[in-house]
Amino acid sequence: MVRKPLTAWLFVLPALLVFTALVIAPILWSLSLSLVRWNGLGKQVFVGFGNYLQMLRDKVFVEAFFNTLFFSIVGSVVQLLAGMAMAVSLLAIRRFRNLIRVAYFVPAVVSSVAIAQIFGQVLAVQPEGLVNALLGAVGLGQYKAAFLSEPRLTLLIVTLVDAYKFCAIYMAIYYSALISIDSEMLDASLVDGANWLQQLLLVRIPAIRATIAVTIVLVVSGTLKGFDVSFVLTGGGPGASSELVSTYLYKSLFNSSNFGYGSAIAVFLAIECLLVVIALRWALRSERAAT
Amino acid sequence: MSAATTRRGSAWQMLPWLAVGFFLVVQLLPLVWISIASVKTPAELAGTPMYALPASIDFGNYVRAFATSPLLKYIGNSALVALLTIVLTVALAAPAAFAIEKLRFPGAQKVLAYFLIGLMIPVFVALLPTFLAFNRIGLRDTYWALILPQVAFNLPMAIYIYTGFMRNIPDTLIEAATIDGASTFRIFRSIILPLSTNATVTIAVFNFMFAWNEFVFANTFLTSPALKTLPVGLQDFVGQYGKTDLGATFAAIVVSIVPTVLLYLFLNRRVIDGMTAGATKG
Repeated sequence: MVRKPLTAWLFVLPALLVFTALVIAPILWSLSLSLVRWNGLGKQVFVGFGNYLQMLRDKVFVEAFFNTLFFSIVGSVVQLLAGMAMAVSLLAIRRFRNLIRVAYFVPAVVSSVAIAQIFGQVLAVQPEGLVNALLGAVGLGQYKAAFLSEPRLTLLIVTLVDAYKFCAIYMAIYYSALISIDSEMLDASLVDGANWLQQLLLVRIPAIRATIAVTIVLVVSGTLKGFDVSFVLTGGGPGASSELVSTYLYKSLFNSSNFGYGSAIAVFLAIECLLVVIALRWALRSERAAT
Repeated sequence: MSAATTRRGSAWQMLPWLAVGFFLVVQLLPLVWISIASVKTPAELAGTPMYALPASIDFGNYVRAFATSPLLKYIGNSALVALLTIVLTVALAAPAAFAIEKLRFPGAQKVLAYFLIGLMIPVFVALLPTFLAFNRIGLRDTYWALILPQVAFNLPMAIYIYTGFMRNIPDTLIEAATIDGASTFRIFRSIILPLSTNATVTIAVFNFMFAWNEFVFANTFLTSPALKTLPVGLQDFVGQYGKTDLGATFAAIVVSIVPTVLLYLFLNRRVIDGMTAGATKG
């Protein structure tokens, strides 16, 4: 290949400029905004790390932080287990596999706003939504509730609705990994007398360790950035019961015009995502190298 | 084989189908339910329980939903934004990946590493600066305010997929073309780009799904109702009619999900492959 560095830079420059202007530069700007107090109109007052210290004292932020932790851990476990269960259910049948895989995947192509709106209707009290109507119909009327105004339930509901939208992605990833396992390995295990379940647990799932490691990184970093369902379905409420770090920083920025404070939380979220992904990759390094 | 073991055998064979049936209900019931509820008359919605089936199919809710709000406009806006996002992403990512992977200029791997930083960045950390900048240059309440940041945040994944794909295009093809006197641009356009069609389709598919469903940028930057995309338009609709016209609200929700679901059912494997590739390559 003839080396013409100048031509090469011409090919890469447009992408480089757009990426730098709209991803990297805004990050640096956010970093500097996180050190000031500013409402967008008056003068910016330099406060050093004041915004970051304020986060420690801010009860709503602390609650949002722990909510995000719950959302991420529970959401990740539910999504990966549901994804694996669906993939295994496909593996266990012989006919209509592709048709059913396509059907399983439908929620993943629907916007999270629409999904949140649907569940808003499903869980509604007035007019009575599907869940409350069914509870009444099967004689469990005493469990009817305003689910979305129940602080003990909202975070779990938001977590599960988000999981509902995304779990099929992991189904698809696991399924394609499970069916592309070397058939000699599977045949060998059958010769050794393994039954279907043993084959699944002792051969198939260990064989896709690397894929599982990738999905763990993926689902955790995805859920840490979760926003839409909480924002649309409960607005983070009631109180701060389903507030996430992302929704709280959004409100700080665009509802209360706390530009400095909101930026500090945004920077915090970015660093949190970065550290968690690096830590997970490090923890899973041997698994990821498995294939 | 005795009758008892055969029966137990068939019970075991039913188990996977029970699981499949359960998952199908979980995955599809919310969507099927809202579709059924959307063709009930307002009287039925008010008078019968939510799980009841409609006596007949009535499209009155859809007529009111389209009459009272610019749903069609929202669909058009979403399509335009998604389309331009895809075209720009491909137009920027493909040449960049070609330069990084095939022209191998000094520093190419550093440039790639620089792009890949973007895979770990949540959009929220860029939101306020982008808002302030777009506001100042008069770009905030336009289609470009949605397109440009999405293109920028899509670039890392697109470049990653392209470079991975182009790695498998033999260098001898390029060398032969160079000997024949083809310019670098011509090599890119006539050899690399056509051979990378599969990568382009993957990138187009997952960018379409994400752009069509994108909410954060649209909710932050747009104020003119005439520019709104489906997700924010739907939010407006529910805010305005959610309490007063349940039927039209159901219809609007269904209208917002029909385009992607139809496209998906049409292209099913490509969409699944595109979206999972877009996810796992991270």
